[in-house]
Amino acid sequence: MNTKLAKFIDHTLLKPEATSEQIEALCKEAKEYGFASVCINPCRVKLASELLRDTDVKVCTVVGFPLGATTPEVKAFEAANAVENGASEVDMVMNIGAMKEKDYDLVERDIRAVVEAVAGKAVVKVILENCLLEKDEIKKACEICVKAGADFVKTSTGFNKSGATVEDVKLMKEAVKDKAGVKAAGGIRDMVTAKAMIEAGASRLGTSSSIKIVSEMED
Amino acid sequence: MECNVTLKDLAGMIDNTNLKVDVQKEDLEKLCRESIEYGFKSVAVNHSSIKYCKKFLAGTGVGIVTGISYPLGTNTLEEKLFETKHTIEIGATEIDYVINISELRAKNYDYMKKEMEEILKVCRQNNVLCKVILETYYLTDDEIIAMCKIASEVKPDFIKTSTGQIQGGGAKVEHVRLIKEALGDSGVQVKAAGGIRTLDDALQMIEAGATRLGTSSGTKIMEEYMERFN
Repeated sequence: MNTKLAKFIDHTLLKPEATSEQIEALCKEAKEYGFASVCINPCRVKLASELLRDTDVKVCTVVGFPLGATTPEVKAFEAANAVENGASEVDMVMNIGAMKEKDYDLVERDIRAVVEAVAGKAVVKVILENCLLEKDEIKKACEICVKAGADFVKTSTGFNKSGATVEDVKLMKEAVKDKAGVKAAGGIRDMVTAKAMIEAGASRLGTSSSIKIVSEMED
Repeated sequence: MECNVTLKDLAGMIDNTNLKVDVQKEDLEKLCRESIEYGFKSVAVNHSSIKYCKKFLAGTGVGIVTGISYPLGTNTLEEKLFETKHTIEIGATEIDYVINISELRAKNYDYMKKEMEEILKVCRQNNVLCKVILETYYLTDDEIIAMCKIASEVKPDFIKTSTGQIQGGGAKVEHVRLIKEALGDSGVQVKAAGGIRTLDDALQMIEAGATRLGTSSGTKIMEEYMERFN
């Protein structure tokens, strides 16, 4: 089993119709394979936290997901609620409309609201949704994320037109340097793609094909 | 297709919708202008757009609809309640919340009822309409009927078919009929949303029992109506 690669992976199930049994299976797999976290919807955080108590697997959830078009107040509340329920990582979606309008103050305030809400108790990742952004917008967004105190920038929700690309991961890594990590997510379904993302600078991968990926590594 | 509604009545059934994540002020301005011009019931926008629309629509009679836990419905009840209060505070006049689909699938009807009651309570306290989005794409007929049964007791204002965020997973005539029938004489109305792009789409939904339509093609539907009937 390749635990080294497994440690890069947020084992993800964000389908709105996911059953408790599926969440239980996800947590069991995460323990077995040693994934970094399970990435699940907010209403599943309590259950996953109970199941993963006393393990190394973290509980990651999403905020303002998948549109990012809510207010800083709502995102802050969601983040605080998630932490209270046991999450130690939150993946928030940036206010993409504000980024497009160059309302950088709002983009920053939105991220800062979440960073402050988790009060050091959770890692904050900011999803840029690259497929809706120009290259210079990705770069600018990364700079704002670092300034606002985010721990990671993340490529995609996996719910929009397209997911992570090697080119974007490189661009993001270059923009955040060593001040934040890069999480690649969306469309990572095999080991070759996973490795390419890591080589490009990603230190975390979001995928629902985690087991397939680590199994391919063993072969 | 037969048409028993006037242009004005049709406009009064439409929530003129723009829920794009990269929406900008000029898009919102256009949406609001059209809504005033045609007399749409409301604009349906994301939270981040409410304040701007409120300023634009003040005194026009056009309402502001927003989604809660939109589009996945996977937030905790505490989060849904906070979102409801917060969006009402900043200007929403109608709340369209997405149900917790997993809990419904688990037949946790107590939870489904509690979720509906508590969100409705906040809406009622603030004199705001409450619509319940089922996202029928994921549901069986039995699950749809179970939700309508709960709604017949709790009495939100509307049951809504879909978020419109699932490609090809929008309102279906047979679902509107099923919901309408299951709601019986409870007084709860039906909102059809998702994939309504033409006048015929709209008229079919109305014929099946919908009294509210969510569409991002509101203006196009109005223009079609005028071309065909005036």
